[in-house]
Amino acid sequence: MKHILLACSSGMSTSLLVKKMEEEAENKGIEVKIWAVAQDKAMEELENADVLLIGPQMRFMKKKYSKTAEEAGTPLDVIDPVAYGRVDGKAVLEHALKLIDG
Amino acid sequence: MNKFMEVLENFLMPIADKLNNNRYLTALRDGFMIALPLIIFGSIFVVLANLPFLDMLIGEEAYATYQSALGPASAATLSIMGAFVIIGIGTKLTQSYDIEGIYGGVAAFAAFLILTPQTLEGVSGVIPTSILGAEGMFLGIFTAFIAAELYRFFVQKKWTIKMPAGVPDAVSRSFSALIPITLTLSVFLVVRIIFSYTPFDTVQNFIYTIIQEPLTALGSGLPATLVAVLLIQVFWFFGLHGQIIINSVFDPIWYALNDENLQAFQAGSELPNIVTKQFIDTFLVGMGGSGMTLAVVIGIFVIGRSRQLKELGKLGGPPGIFNVNEPIIFGLPIIMNPLALIPWLLAPVVVTFITYFSMATGLVPKPAGIIVPWTTPVGLSGFLATGNAWQGAVLQFFNMAVVFLIWWPFLKILDKSYYESENKGENSQAS
Repeated sequence: MKHILLACSSGMSTSLLVKKMEEEAENKGIEVKIWAVAQDKAMEELENADVLLIGPQMRFMKKKYSKTAEEAGTPLDVIDPVAYGRVDGKAVLEHALKLIDG
Repeated sequence: MNKFMEVLENFLMPIADKLNNNRYLTALRDGFMIALPLIIFGSIFVVLANLPFLDMLIGEEAYATYQSALGPASAATLSIMGAFVIIGIGTKLTQSYDIEGIYGGVAAFAAFLILTPQTLEGVSGVIPTSILGAEGMFLGIFTAFIAAELYRFFVQKKWTIKMPAGVPDAVSRSFSALIPITLTLSVFLVVRIIFSYTPFDTVQNFIYTIIQEPLTALGSGLPATLVAVLLIQVFWFFGLHGQIIINSVFDPIWYALNDENLQAFQAGSELPNIVTKQFIDTFLVGMGGSGMTLAVVIGIFVIGRSRQLKELGKLGGPPGIFNVNEPIIFGLPIIMNPLALIPWLLAPVVVTFITYFSMATGLVPKPAGIIVPWTTPVGLSGFLATGNAWQGAVLQFFNMAVVFLIWWPFLKILDKSYYESENKGENSQAS
């Protein structure tokens, strides 16, 4: 089971992605738990996640998250803006899985 | 053009980073978030208590009874939102130092009450609720910052009482907070006493006169509002969440202005402010999201011939109704797209002017101080925000038509270029 955490300003727009990513994971037969939170909850949720992806509009949070994420050994990255605009579950899922595998 | 964009983004990123990750602004934003459920609860009951035509339907007397029965719901939450904001900020700021937050929160609230005049029109032993609304907003924020800072300072200095092992955790924690809280609150008591010897009499009065009044007067004006609106758009153009960044600076002002209107609305007197929290949230964001992109979605449905735009309309439409528009912003794309820049900046400015002057001339009622959740769909949000006035909804739809017209030629060009590149068999993925 892979745990993928998404964060944006209020967890609204990333929640659009959650569904698409889940569909994609099901197609591929990968067991995942994907959930979206508001930016102020991201650090509390980090311990339950294998990877953290940030909405591109909140990319200025990356620096702040990096410290905690590094200590926890959790990879994090900013979601590609084009994939974000297309709500491209496939691309973002692949991105997440790649980060988990290191 | 690309070079210029790069320079601008390199300039904006650090600003976004500073504003959003500043310890105090973060605590401020999160503090308001804590108060938000209570604010919305109170708002719902202001709406219910002022339903249109109800007085004619059930008679004046029954209506008055009905209103006074619902009154406490908003009086205990929305009208004294300052109390929850102060506790929220105090808690969050203390937490940011990895110290148990709630003691910082209650210390902040107590510090605020110490600074508050505890008499009202000659009656002593009371706390005027008005100071927990708009009037005390700025003092509340400063007090929460200073109280939480003092509290964590004393905690970090380890000026606490150590309990022997075996004492339950909760008990020892309450003792460990004792000395830091005592010292923190004593400081505020001294401040209060000092101020009683100045012409301002109270700290409340001092902050209100020196800081809050000038700032809110500035913030309620059209120029400052246009600057805020434009900055939000510019940040978004670079794909940065402009609302989050700018709100952390403007929210105290907008909420204070909002609360002044609420008090006037409930007293049945004339509403003092046009620009309030709801002016922005309902009339500039609540029409599909930042930049009012629901009109763009409609434009896509009307004129879109290219696959890319049609696809985007399907993706961006449903969330757009609830004012979530990241698919449009990143998908059209609006970010970094020179073609989108003009309508993106122009439309909100024009809508700000229209909204401001339609309220200034009395054509549309001013926002009544009710906080409408930003995900409320267009039409409904305008109706609710103006205190159940149909004109508010009509204004929103009128503004949407204006946004639509401003975008029209630009959408057309964009659609054409997508359509042509798709039909040439070129890879439409490249953007």
